[in-house]
Parts: sequence; structure tokens; C-alpha cells
Amino acid sequence: MMIKEVITVILLVVGCFFFLAGTLGVLRFPDLFSRLHALTKADNLGLGFIAAGMALHIGSPWAVLKIFSIWFFTLLASSTSCYLIARFQKEKDQARNRKEEG
Amino acid sequence: MSIMIDIILAVLAIYLALQCLFAPRLTQTVFLFFAFGLALALAWVRLGAVDVAITEAAIASGFLGVLFLDALRDFSLAPPLKWDNLEVVHSSLATKNPKSLFLPRLALMLGLGLFLLIALEAVWKIPEGGGLTAAAEALLPESGVEHPVTAVLLNFRAYDTWLELGVILLGLLATFAVGGIKIYRKPPVVADDILLRQVILFFTPVLFLFGAFLLYFGKSGPGGAFQAAVLWGAIGILLHLGGRPVFSMIPRWLGQLSLTVGLGFFLILGFFLLAGGATLFEYPPAYAGVLILIIETLAAISIAAALTAIFANLNQMNKEESNQIESTN
Repeated sequence: MMIKEVITVILLVVGCFFFLAGTLGVLRFPDLFSRLHALTKADNLGLGFIAAGMALHIGSPWAVLKIFSIWFFTLLASSTSCYLIARFQKEKDQARNRKEEG
Repeated sequence: MSIMIDIILAVLAIYLALQCLFAPRLTQTVFLFFAFGLALALAWVRLGAVDVAITEAAIASGFLGVLFLDALRDFSLAPPLKWDNLEVVHSSLATKNPKSLFLPRLALMLGLGLFLLIALEAVWKIPEGGGLTAAAEALLPESGVEHPVTAVLLNFRAYDTWLELGVILLGLLATFAVGGIKIYRKPPVVADDILLRQVILFFTPVLFLFGAFLLYFGKSGPGGAFQAAVLWGAIGILLHLGGRPVFSMIPRWLGQLSLTVGLGFFLILGFFLLAGGATLFEYPPAYAGVLILIIETLAAISIAAALTAIFANLNQMNKEESNQIESTN
């Protein structure tokens, strides 16, 4: 019992650390691409750790399945939106470069 | 410990609301509004109103968010009209002019003061014993559902819900009125993105299933027509954004039918109940459960169709306008 709680707390703290790192990255990184990188990578990892911690805390198989499907869907949605934002920015940059050259 | 969380949430919600009002750029305002909606949803969860929380998160942060982002994109893509200097246009579009804000601020202050007074009076006059909660709980077995919120929304106060469906339909009509009735033309072919397409294809059945679950689960827990409708509406919006506008693919009568079926079925049911000697929306207790499920399903279809149509219409309109501007330049 004791060990389970300790592991839960460790997982949650690690998750919070990654969220903090991701937020710091969004605030401090210079351009859109690196900010996207910080936001999606670190936050998804943080969410994964928090999901693992909560799953361990709750312990019932259905809850575990639900929590991990939340994580899975968030992973899919955030990586897709990251890709779309990055593509939009890249196309905008290319258009601007072409205009400047031409 | 839990009072700490409540205090943090309350302060966060108010802080985000103020930030949202006073943010200098429209982009910031929009994103702060998302954050505000989520903080509000969490606050509703803490207050035990999970139904309201889901609706708040889905409508305020989800659907309104999509509309706001769409509007923001139009602002950012709008080419300079008459000014040659892009800076002028940029500053006039994306930032607010502080001088012109005096009157709105005054009105806002007055309205806020009035609202605070009313809220204080409401808190002061909270009836002993939780108001109508006991009455609703007592009649729960007759309502046909097990969840008190659904019982109130779909049975005891069905009239309100019926009119809400009408309000949503009116909103759709308003967007038609603003843009003229040039409904659901095929949009110009968007660049086909294989990743986007696959993700949308993956999410469509998942969202549909989850919406259906929420709809059915509304019988015994938080959930119901509005929450399900937002998820189904999200399918429509996703498909529209992915280059598959639902309303231009299905025949027109089917679109109109799905828009009006919720309001219409409610109305016809009320009419027959009146004709049978009962009052409006007084379901016979034996059939109440089935009737509520049918009403909720049809209402969810209607609301989802209306939300999709509002988005599709606005998105379409803006696209056509920006195309016109581009072609005149």
C-alpha cells in the first residue's frame, strides 16, 4: 500500500515537472516551431505520467482503460494540431520568401 | 485542502475574465477566453454540477472556440482594403482602440454592478431546504429517467428545453440572414492532407460513439442531448474542415429535416398530448422514459446539425468574402 502511494506521488510529480518544462519552453523559446515542440512533446509526456499516476491511484481496470484512452486521444489530437500549425507557418514563410525574392 | 482548490479556482476564473477583457490583442483575448471557459468548467465540477461543466466546456470552449478561431483567421488573412500601409491596418484590426472603449466600459461597469447586486440578493434569499430539489426528487420515479437534471430538463421543464431548440435554430437563421441564403455551396478544393484526413476519419466514429454514449447515459447520470449534440456537431465541423462539407453532400431536404426534427417532434408531441387532454409536455409516466430518449435523440440530431450549419455557413461566407477581396485587388 505504502509503496503504491509513493510511486503514485513520484509519477504525479514527474508529470508536473514535464508540464512545467513545457510551459517554460512555450514562454521562453524564440520561434513558433520550437515552441510547438516544447508544448506538444513535454506536455504529452507530462500527461502520460499523470495518467499513469492516477491510474495507479484509482486501480480499477475500467478507470485505467478510460484514463489511457484520454491520453491516447489527446496524443492524437495534439500531435495533429501541432503538425497543422507547423505546416501553416511553413507555407506562410515560404510564400513570404517567394515574395521577397521575386 | 479542498477549500484551497476552490479559492484558487475562483481567483483564477476572475483573473482570467479580467485578463480576457483587458488583453490588448484579439488573439490573446480569444485564447484567454478558452482558458476562462475551462476554469469555469472546473468550477462547475467543484460545485457538483457536472452537466453544466460538460456543456460549458463543450459549447463555450469548444464550439465558440472554433467560431472565434475562424473569425481570428479572417482578421489575420484580411488583406489591406484601402490603406497601403499594412501596419495601420494591422494595428486597427488586431488591437483595440482605448478611446472608443469608454462607453462600453461604463456600460459594462453598470451592468456588472447590477448583476452583482442581483447575485447578492439571490444568495441572500436562497430558500431553506434547497428550493425545488426535494419536489424534483420526489417526482423522479414518474419522470421516466433516473437523473434529476435530465428529469427537470426533459420532463418537468420541457417547455424551456423546447424553446432552447428554437433559439439555436433562430441563431442559424440569423447567420443565414446576415450572409443571404446561398447555402452550402461546394467549397473550393482544399489541399488534400493525408494526415488530416486520416485523423478525421479516425475521430469521426469515436466522436459519434462517445456522443451516443453521453446521450444514452443522460438517463442516469450527467450527459444528455446538448452534450451529445456538441460532439456530433464536432464531427460535422471536422468533416467540413477536412474538405467534406456534410450539408452539400446530403440532399437538401435531408439537411432541412435534420435541422428541424427536434423542434418539430417536440411540437407535434406537445400537440398530441394537449389533444389527449393532458397539459403541454405532460408525458404519460409509462412511456416517459421512451419518449424522453426519442426526444433527446432527435434534439441532439437537430442541435448538431444546427451547430454544423452555423459553422459551415460562417466559414463559407468568410471564404467567399476573402476570395472577393483578393480578386478585386
